[in-house]
Amino acid sequence: MKKILQIGWKDLRVIFRDRAALILMLLAPFAMTVGMGLVTGTLSSSGGGLSQVPVVVVNLDQSTLGVALTEVLMSPELSQLLAVEENNDVAAARAMVDADKTAAVVIIPTGFTASVIPQAGQSSSADAQIELYKNPSWPISSDIVQSIVESFLNEVETGRIGGQVAVAQLIASGLVSQQQAAEVGMQIGTRLANEQSNMQTLTLNTRQTSVSEEPNFLMYIAPGFALLFLMYTVSLGGKTLLTERQEGTLTRLMTTPTGPSQVLVGKMAGTYMIGLAQMTILIVASALLLGLRWGDPLAVAILLLTTVAAATGWGMLLAALSRTPGQVSSIGMAMTLLFGLVGGSFFGGTLPGVVGYIGMLTPNYWGQTGFNTLARGGDLQDLLPVYAVLLAMAAILLVISVFIFRRKGLLQR
Amino acid sequence: MSLILEVQNLVKKFGDITAVDGVSFNIQEGEVFSLLGPNGAGKTTTISMLSCLLEPTSGDAIIDGHSVTRDALQVKGVIGVVPQEIALYEELSARENLTFWGQMYGLGGSALKTRVNEVLEQIGLADRAKDKIKTYSGGMKRRVNIGVGLLHKPRLLFMDEPTVGIDPQSRRSILDSVKDLNKAGMTVLYTTHYMEEAEELSHRVGIVDQGKMIAIGTQKELTQLVGENETLRLHIGENVDVQPLMDALKELPYVIHVSASDNMVVLIVPEADDALPPVLGMADRLGYKIRSVDIQEPNLEAVFLKLTGKALRD
Amino acid sequence: MSKIIAIALKDMNIRFSGKTELLFFLILPLIFTLLLSGVLFGGGASKIVMVVVDEDNSDLSQRLVSLLQSSEAVAPSILAREKAQETLDNRDAAAILIIPSGMESNLKAGQAVSLDFTLDPSNNNGLAVQQEVQNAISKISRSLAVASASTREAENIQPFTDATQRQAYYDQSLVAARQMFDTAPIRIVITQPKNTVEIQSQKETQAAQASAGQLIIWVFIPLLGTSELMAYERVWGTLRRLVTTPTRKPTFLLGTITGQLSYGLIQMLMLVVIGVVLLKVPWGQNPLALLLLLISFGLASVAMGTMLGTFTRTPSQANGLSISLGMVMGLLGGCMWPLEMFPPAVANVAKILPTTWAMMGMTQLTVYNAGLLQILPYAAVLCGFAVVFFIVGIWRFRYE
Repeated sequence: MKKILQIGWKDLRVIFRDRAALILMLLAPFAMTVGMGLVTGTLSSSGGGLSQVPVVVVNLDQSTLGVALTEVLMSPELSQLLAVEENNDVAAARAMVDADKTAAVVIIPTGFTASVIPQAGQSSSADAQIELYKNPSWPISSDIVQSIVESFLNEVETGRIGGQVAVAQLIASGLVSQQQAAEVGMQIGTRLANEQSNMQTLTLNTRQTSVSEEPNFLMYIAPGFALLFLMYTVSLGGKTLLTERQEGTLTRLMTTPTGPSQVLVGKMAGTYMIGLAQMTILIVASALLLGLRWGDPLAVAILLLTTVAAATGWGMLLAALSRTPGQVSSIGMAMTLLFGLVGGSFFGGTLPGVVGYIGMLTPNYWGQTGFNTLARGGDLQDLLPVYAVLLAMAAILLVISVFIFRRKGLLQR
Repeated sequence: MSLILEVQNLVKKFGDITAVDGVSFNIQEGEVFSLLGPNGAGKTTTISMLSCLLEPTSGDAIIDGHSVTRDALQVKGVIGVVPQEIALYEELSARENLTFWGQMYGLGGSALKTRVNEVLEQIGLADRAKDKIKTYSGGMKRRVNIGVGLLHKPRLLFMDEPTVGIDPQSRRSILDSVKDLNKAGMTVLYTTHYMEEAEELSHRVGIVDQGKMIAIGTQKELTQLVGENETLRLHIGENVDVQPLMDALKELPYVIHVSASDNMVVLIVPEADDALPPVLGMADRLGYKIRSVDIQEPNLEAVFLKLTGKALRD
Repeated sequence: MSKIIAIALKDMNIRFSGKTELLFFLILPLIFTLLLSGVLFGGGASKIVMVVVDEDNSDLSQRLVSLLQSSEAVAPSILAREKAQETLDNRDAAAILIIPSGMESNLKAGQAVSLDFTLDPSNNNGLAVQQEVQNAISKISRSLAVASASTREAENIQPFTDATQRQAYYDQSLVAARQMFDTAPIRIVITQPKNTVEIQSQKETQAAQASAGQLIIWVFIPLLGTSELMAYERVWGTLRRLVTTPTRKPTFLLGTITGQLSYGLIQMLMLVVIGVVLLKVPWGQNPLALLLLLISFGLASVAMGTMLGTFTRTPSQANGLSISLGMVMGLLGGCMWPLEMFPPAVANVAKILPTTWAMMGMTQLTVYNAGLLQILPYAAVLCGFAVVFFIVGIWRFRYE
């Protein structure tokens, strides 16, 4: 038993002195997590999501609605989301979209207000339409601008129709005479405009699923990248077995009073310890430096222990099936990438459909599911099935590996 | 015979460390010149400067009329280099390696093909030319290593400790190839810390230690520098009383010292060649049967020891 | 010249001598591109999945549901509450909308109703779903709002005699409102710049972006791996040997670059063909422009790899750094998360990376149907990167 730990501990020390290995074990996953935090805005003051979308407004309408729309776009509520610029020159504004400098241009034509709120005797027409000139390379941003403008128009329309229907109904029911219509209409119109909130009777109460107040995307991403590079780490562990075989130190080890099974289990222990150290360092670093919390530490700890066990199983299987250290390196890297892909490690989730099912073969999938469940407020109880699957995976793979090693003989290729 | 290499006061400093401290020597065309010295003496650094790998801190070397500091490109065209390490692409075959390096020397087309075949024959690997280098034994790799240095028919071949760490057969074959190459007219600069090699191969030897050239000359000149006497060992049969023989030998004027051990009578004389006939004659007259005779001439190790107070090899 | 080709061929020979090279050259990039673009974005205009829980089962809720069903952006699936949460947890849907019981009756009574809408933050289609739902809600509620307002106005002038009369007035107003809304003029028109490829849905654009992103990363990383090749030559001693031959420094570097660039270009062309044929990404409109962009990106990548090679000592260090830098620069360049979603500060900083310019160029090709002229600035910047890295590489190039 002691020898097993000694062998394992030796391997741990060797790997942690190898700066090249540390780059992929610790630096890469952390850098990717921080990178994701930066690009999604999760790490910046905006707290995530789109912000400061550049928009240009050209208001050619000299009247109420044109001004109102411009004011809405430039309102304090939208100041985080949009960065609005006013311009009088339509051509210049369009050119900004063409030059990829802005997400969209809102062109409010002359006579817009007049076309919406008809003067006496006329009806509302579509003569003067707002043109939204969208930048196609900013699909998400320009769609948002579109929906803001559309919702403004919707309010305006509701106000107009509200006024018209109210007046028409009053006249129809005789409560108001034809002559009073215009004046009453104005009063109603004003009242409705001032009671905008009454018109919005159906609202969305939006929330994001997460355990903390502020939903944090990184809680899914950080474990994802840690799991991605975990597979690389366990392949390294298996590689040391083949390297030792190649360099003769394995043979030397066998001339000492150490049995082959001790050597093998020692290598497994080493791989496990290295993987566990990596995951622990990354998770703790994410917690300390990025402020991420997954809830119950015990649940997290057990999740780490079981996930690394399953990963170690795969690492050992790879070593058992390979013939040279070079093979372990290349196939190990390919495995790392593929497992990461189908296990959803690249975006902190799992893929849908058939691919998702394939992903279930990977420790990445289950580890990710575990972390995501915790991030959404789950606890140890909820994770029991995940633990079970991971342990089963570990057990099956380790048994198979041992079987293969015994059949081939530890020193045989 | 002309001078093919003139080394003029080469100095190389790495920070505070002076690896080569004012080395000068010449090599005649057609000779084998050895740089003999222990590990760390500066042999590899010197060869690196001569191969235009390192820039000298000061000093220069003229190879076939070109300066290594000013005309590096021309120098590289006339020298062949066999480095200490196996500098080959293990994933490629011997033929592919030779072809590539030939191209780097500016050879091409059918001329290159022909030359590659010639070299493969010369190094004795024509039948395994298609196999990847990584499948070769250590000795075979060294042969390819040498082959690369020969491709462009250089005038001067640098060989940096080519026999380190290989089996006796391969070493023998390499030493023989050097002699063959030299017979065919190749000038060779050979560095080593093995005295036997220097003795076997070279016309002249330069002894280096701690970055300095401490002695140059033929072996005879060098050993004369120190004037060691030679040792004559007479192996006599067992259980023979050698005392009378020893007493008689002591009387000879040129015998400096006589002693006996392990069925041997050991004599120190100035010149063994001269002393041997009369000594044998005396032994014969006294009725002793001499089973075998050893002559130990002063060797380069002794020279080194005398000059530096250290052993050539630890 | 022949020396340059000899070096290039030698490098290709060594690269492909192992059996596993094909894995990284073609197989893995293929799998990644197909899966990420194909599966995640449906390789085309497929709708975002969302869940609707209808606990009201009224006319109004039905209207809301059918409005969502007829939307071009979302595909609602109706589930019970528990199943809904499970679906979200499995990340099979982008959001859940819960229609509470009593919605219709409360609205008709003039009360405000709030619908619970839960988003999956890790799904960047969430915003699009939110917009669609918001639109749908506005549409169904506005008639009701008008009817309520109309009824209130009447009440202000003369109170109703009873609830029935009130209800009748309300219903009439509602009918009138609905009719007016149905015939309301369209007040907005959406336009795009002239050259754009047929107006795509958000999803189509994202699929194209994902393919471009994969292309860039999968080519970038092995080209950064030029550094590993250089490190190996140092370890093998062949680099030192090369210096003893009459071969100049620039020749060696050019040879290395030519070899790596050829490798990269072949890989890019294969991935482009697959993208165009299998995933229907619109890259095929301007092959010359595409070629120009790819070559300049390849150059910048190889130059960077060469420069990296002068900083790394061992092959495994070079390998680790190539992969790490490749992934991080790909991420920050917009290859994994769309550039337009970056906070503006980050987007500006990202402009110092070659990957960003490659992505921007690819976007121009995909979305704007860009020709040679429009691509020129992007290619020029990338070549600028190449020149700078090349200069640093040569300057730092020590053979030891």
